[in-house]
Amino acid sequence: MGLHIVKRENCPLWKRCCFYLIAVLVALGIGSVILLAIGVNPVAYYTRMFTLGTIGNKIAYKTYINYLKDFVPLALTSLGLSLAFKMRFWNIGGEGQFIMGALAASAAAILLGNTLPSAAVLLLICVAAMAAAGLYGLLVAALKVKFGTNETLLTLMLNYVAVYLLNFLMGTKAGWNFYLNANELRPVPQKHPDSSLFPTIPMGGKFELNICVILVFVIGLLIYVYLKRTKQGYEINVVGDSIGTARYAGMKTNRIVLRTVFFSACLIGLAAAFKMGTVGTLSTSITADVGWTGIIVAWLAQLNTWVIFAVSALISMLHYGSTVAAATFKQVDSSFANMLQGFILFLVLAADFMIRFRIVRTRKEDRNG
Amino acid sequence: MSERYAIEMRGITKAFGSVVANSNVELNVKQGEILALLGENGSGKTTLMNMLSGIYKPDSGSILVDGREAVINSPEDAKKLGIGMVHQHFKLVDVFSAADNIWMGKERAGLVLKKDRYAQIREISRKFGFEIDPKKKVYNMSVSEKQTLEIIKVLYYGAKTIILDEPTAVLTVQEIQKLFAVLRKMKEEGHSIIIITHKLNEVMEISDRVAILRKGAYITTVETAQTNEQALTEWMVGRPIDLNIDRPVMETTRPLLEVRDLTIRSDEGSVAIDGVNFYIRGGEILGVAGIAGCGQKELCEAIAGLRPIEKGQMIHKGDNIVGLSPKKILEKGISMSFIPEDRLGMGLAPSLSITDNMILKNYADTKGPFVNRKLGRADAEQVIRELEVVTPSTETPVRRLSGGNVQKVLLGREIKAGPNVIVTAYPVRGLDINSSFTIYNILNQQKQAGVGILFVGEDMDVMMALCDKIMVLCHGKVMGVVHAHKTTKEELGLMMTGALDLSNKYEDKPAGIAKDSRFGEAEQGEEA
Repeated sequence: MGLHIVKRENCPLWKRCCFYLIAVLVALGIGSVILLAIGVNPVAYYTRMFTLGTIGNKIAYKTYINYLKDFVPLALTSLGLSLAFKMRFWNIGGEGQFIMGALAASAAAILLGNTLPSAAVLLLICVAAMAAAGLYGLLVAALKVKFGTNETLLTLMLNYVAVYLLNFLMGTKAGWNFYLNANELRPVPQKHPDSSLFPTIPMGGKFELNICVILVFVIGLLIYVYLKRTKQGYEINVVGDSIGTARYAGMKTNRIVLRTVFFSACLIGLAAAFKMGTVGTLSTSITADVGWTGIIVAWLAQLNTWVIFAVSALISMLHYGSTVAAATFKQVDSSFANMLQGFILFLVLAADFMIRFRIVRTRKEDRNG
Repeated sequence: MSERYAIEMRGITKAFGSVVANSNVELNVKQGEILALLGENGSGKTTLMNMLSGIYKPDSGSILVDGREAVINSPEDAKKLGIGMVHQHFKLVDVFSAADNIWMGKERAGLVLKKDRYAQIREISRKFGFEIDPKKKVYNMSVSEKQTLEIIKVLYYGAKTIILDEPTAVLTVQEIQKLFAVLRKMKEEGHSIIIITHKLNEVMEISDRVAILRKGAYITTVETAQTNEQALTEWMVGRPIDLNIDRPVMETTRPLLEVRDLTIRSDEGSVAIDGVNFYIRGGEILGVAGIAGCGQKELCEAIAGLRPIEKGQMIHKGDNIVGLSPKKILEKGISMSFIPEDRLGMGLAPSLSITDNMILKNYADTKGPFVNRKLGRADAEQVIRELEVVTPSTETPVRRLSGGNVQKVLLGREIKAGPNVIVTAYPVRGLDINSSFTIYNILNQQKQAGVGILFVGEDMDVMMALCDKIMVLCHGKVMGVVHAHKTTKEELGLMMTGALDLSNKYEDKPAGIAKDSRFGEAEQGEEA
């Protein structure tokens, strides 16, 4: 063919950004072909999607509030996952840990919401969710450390345990089941008391910024410092890079694995607490798939703390925007976003290849030597 | 008429990114000769041979087989042209028998395995004088048997030209002699053989001609009979070099580290080290020789506290260190650096910077929750300056450094910690001559400073020149401890394969137990 692949030495940052940008644009391009095929104007569709339908919308502030409700749990879940991934612990169990966190948060809110002051309730919600999710993750880490089990399989399977537990609680009408509204005949989830909702800060106009948004950025900063500056962060890096080296340097690797996985799952639990503290009702679709999407976000961001925020913002925009756009364009289901997300993931991987290698043409005169 | 060559490579150039592995290389092999391809590590020998065997394609240049231009796009093409390569890392399926490993590459093997395959393989091995059981499974084979199998495989597919990539690196002296006998027989049968090596004595012994590469460039081809080791080294390194390794004679101290009756199990649960006794004094280098997998790795790990000890004692300066954590053992001043085959597996974290690797063992010593990278950076700068590490900066990931520099960083860190016992395994693995000598100098300096050194090595010549004493292991048992300047390679080879056991040579003093042992001190200490 006269083409071959050559390793690229150092790719400058601007070039890398260009490749990623091209990848996203090509993904959108493929999306437009599909939109055209079903007779939808891609420009109109994408405009509506990326503006989240706020143009000419009198209640645009509501859109922003709802968008942030998607963004916060996704970003925080990805941050949590990135901690474990940095250590090469493949925590695929974000979904299950999120559900366990949500169940604990909901229990705390329903059982204590009316008896304690709001600040105490919120604190308890967070602590309960973090403990529940953290222990759910710690179980897998403990089995790995003790018996060398495969964490990918175990976290994956525990996801289903959690999903069916949630389904069971959401569908079983019984005297003991406080998750359901006792006054309804059919199984309807119990609404949380107002004291268990996170406070908001008025930002002028009708837009009110939920305190969770600020908290998630503060947590991002803390994680960044934790990974880059602290001894524990250093240990995570060494264990992830070479566990043999870590042992040899005298690190207690088992303890580091247990601690890091616990933290990772705790953050996912906190994401669930933030979600419960903003939406105020449990449901079978409470996770909105953040446990899965979070994995994609963490990898797209290459585990970089700040890029996780950017990618989360983009992916949430796709998901929320497609729901909004589906209202106008009846032919396009909101799962169009999932498809776009898949395209983006694949093309970003392709862009990665272009960053690490370049394709050159074999020169003619060389072949004749 | 000019001479006909079995293989001619003309103006071969191959680059990987900005690294030029081969530039305008010429190579020709006559029929029925043994050509040695000589060059330091990283000089492009393997790359060149990989192009001949179809693994890589040259960027430019041409290859002629039997005088006709050939296009080799895949190992399959090479096979058809009668070129076969025995790689340094064997490409065998462990759970298959010898015959099946040979069989599976055959195009017309069909869907059903036929019984007569064993007979066919037996026949071909008899023809060349190999001893191999076609039904034996690869996982039960020794390294030398695996290599034999690879050679039979290549011959079975009708190779006329056989390339051997560093075939002697893993063999004992006796096994090397056996291999050379086979090679001579193959030569008589009219096969052409290219043998890649960087060991000069082997080049002189086996080859008819020598082709030399240096840093990817072709230097020359000479008749072996008309050259000598010194001239070959100069071509290989590019300047005259003193091939003698110093062995300063030191006043030794009382034993620093004593090991008695040590038994350790391997990961698979078999006994890796079996009732071993030895001791290291300050100011001496004790070499550990043995064929691959004789327990060296397990021994190093046990000393560093990384592997549980089944039985036995380890006394450091009179204190028992069995059962201490790796951290505690480090604090006692025992440093272990093990260079595994991939170089980075134990001792360094490859994706982290030099600075981050410098603080690996002492990051926890500072106060507070934060890592102090300032100290690490200062250490990194010092090691880079003193050991002449070639690196863009202290923040470069270790993975990006060349092999020699990686090893310098590793040893530099170990020495900075000021140890009194250094355990080092394969510290010059994969290094060129210059870097190797730098490492030997570092070890000698440490020895002169009174440090006791346990040196696990591969190259017998180096060990006999550098070490004061050599302990030989075979299947986890000590075959004896010999004085390096009194022993011979033949003796070491016999001990390594277990044919010679000198452990009870002096009946009054079993090998590896010091007269002025400090064991008594430990016991007294425990009683008191």
